[in-house]
Amino acid sequence: MLEVQGLKHYFTDEQGRTVKALDGIDMHVDDGDYVAVIGESGSGKSTLARHFNALLQPTEGRVLVDGMDTAAEENLWAIRSRVGMVFQNPDNQIVAAIVEEDVAFGPENLGVPQPELGRRVREALAAVGMTAYAQQGPYLLSGGQKQRVAIAGILAMAGRCIVLDEPTAMLDPRGRREVLATVKKLNEEQGITIVYITHDMSEALAAKHVYALEKGKVALAGTPEEVFSETDELERLGLEAPPAGRLAAKLRKAGIKINGNIIRDEELAEALWP
Amino acid sequence: MAITLEQIHYTYSPGTPFARVALQGVTLTIEKGDFVALIGHTGSGKSTLIQQMGGLLQPSEGKASVDGIDLSRKEKEIKAARGKIGIVFQYPEHQLFAETAYEDIAFGPRNLGRSPEETDRAVRRAMAQVGLDFDTFAQRSPFRLSGGQMRRLAIAGVLAMEPAYLILDEPSAGLDPRSRRLFFEQIVKSHKQQGMAIILVTHNMDEAARYAQRLLVINEGKLLYDAPPREIFAKYQKELEEVGLAVPAAARLAAVLRARGVPVPADIITEAELEKFLLTWVKKRGKK
Repeated sequence: MLEVQGLKHYFTDEQGRTVKALDGIDMHVDDGDYVAVIGESGSGKSTLARHFNALLQPTEGRVLVDGMDTAAEENLWAIRSRVGMVFQNPDNQIVAAIVEEDVAFGPENLGVPQPELGRRVREALAAVGMTAYAQQGPYLLSGGQKQRVAIAGILAMAGRCIVLDEPTAMLDPRGRREVLATVKKLNEEQGITIVYITHDMSEALAAKHVYALEKGKVALAGTPEEVFSETDELERLGLEAPPAGRLAAKLRKAGIKINGNIIRDEELAEALWP
Repeated sequence: MAITLEQIHYTYSPGTPFARVALQGVTLTIEKGDFVALIGHTGSGKSTLIQQMGGLLQPSEGKASVDGIDLSRKEKEIKAARGKIGIVFQYPEHQLFAETAYEDIAFGPRNLGRSPEETDRAVRRAMAQVGLDFDTFAQRSPFRLSGGQMRRLAIAGVLAMEPAYLILDEPSAGLDPRSRRLFFEQIVKSHKQQGMAIILVTHNMDEAARYAQRLLVINEGKLLYDAPPREIFAKYQKELEEVGLAVPAAARLAAVLRARGVPVPADIITEAELEKFLLTWVKKRGKK
């Protein structure tokens, strides 16, 4: 689905100095993969995300979406209808006055005719559990519901990959649960590829692969088990393991023997009381 | 000395088709030196409530006062009361405006009529409080700082006015784990050293459990619970989920362990507490 080869992205700040936002990233995201990207503020996460649907272009290296180079202008529409983005602030991404019109906005722009358009909107709203709100004004929705509408907009464009940049940072616990559950369901049931940027390590646990960035480079990559068992390295990166992993590490340091890679609550329970 | 709210009701756009009831009879007192966390789902009335505390909104019914000064009095009379309350809104870094960090922080104390010497002292102290080195950052443009630094600078601007009550609305949203931890270490220090009352509005239950001495839960414009976090998180797990909230991660983990048969007490709500319990428990079990 996504192929990142030697990606560098430099820009010049107002002092005329070169800032290396991305400094040589290689990454491979399979069709149907679920990838979490973590890293300190300023490590390059959002810059990376914006390359996936050609909002930004590489200074060096290449980004391919289903084999299409994001640097080639003729690929732009095909790429943007395949890869959609959901941002942090739910209020900044809704354009229409009625939920179903908002979801229809993307495919309509792509020239999708009726009745196909109506069918896509209905299916997209059903997939995110927002059918009951189709006729409502978005201003009546909670933050979590708005994020789900934004996701539905991508599905209605027949998107196959959703890139979410800290989608729950502004949400209450229920909103977080809703967004996470929706993303997980779309990945499992429809094989939608997910790239999920987060500061919340518990949310990153839902992914199949985790990339930790540091100063525009990949510092750690692997399954959640592999990445989150590197507790010292995570600490150095300004990150942390999820709660169960942190506790397991502390207990080990205190001399208690705990076997296996512990990152989830159930795994810690299993290790302590087999 | 306290912020006192008595039977506060508030309706937005009253008498119009858009009328929306935000608060329905909230009574509470925030004492000097309190560290309070305020939780509730989006739209539960949290933001309206803190605006009432800060005198930014007049109640439709009821009475709000700060250190005995009624906030419904004339603008001039409540100016002193308002000066006691500092509010840091969400994403305060969007409100930075000055050429240098120093000027941005100095704006508040100057506006309160402080002398240049007092202002200088206040700026230096506020920068130290948020962990921004004076020599490194004072003359920098606020817009050349990292996200976490900008957030701290904006908070320094409020601290420089030396409020007796500091209201923080989602201060750690969007910060990475390290910035989050550093930020709270500094807030806890200000709280302890200066006895500043802290009112922390948050969606993060872990922060509420770890830092607050008292937890306010608001739902549909009413105060649902007002008790120590330990009591609320231990007793009302189901109720909290029903109103769109949750228990802290450590309490969830404790519940999983308990279901497995590990005898974790119900009142464990932070990671440090859980760690301490497990260490003693594992060692004790080893001896048997």
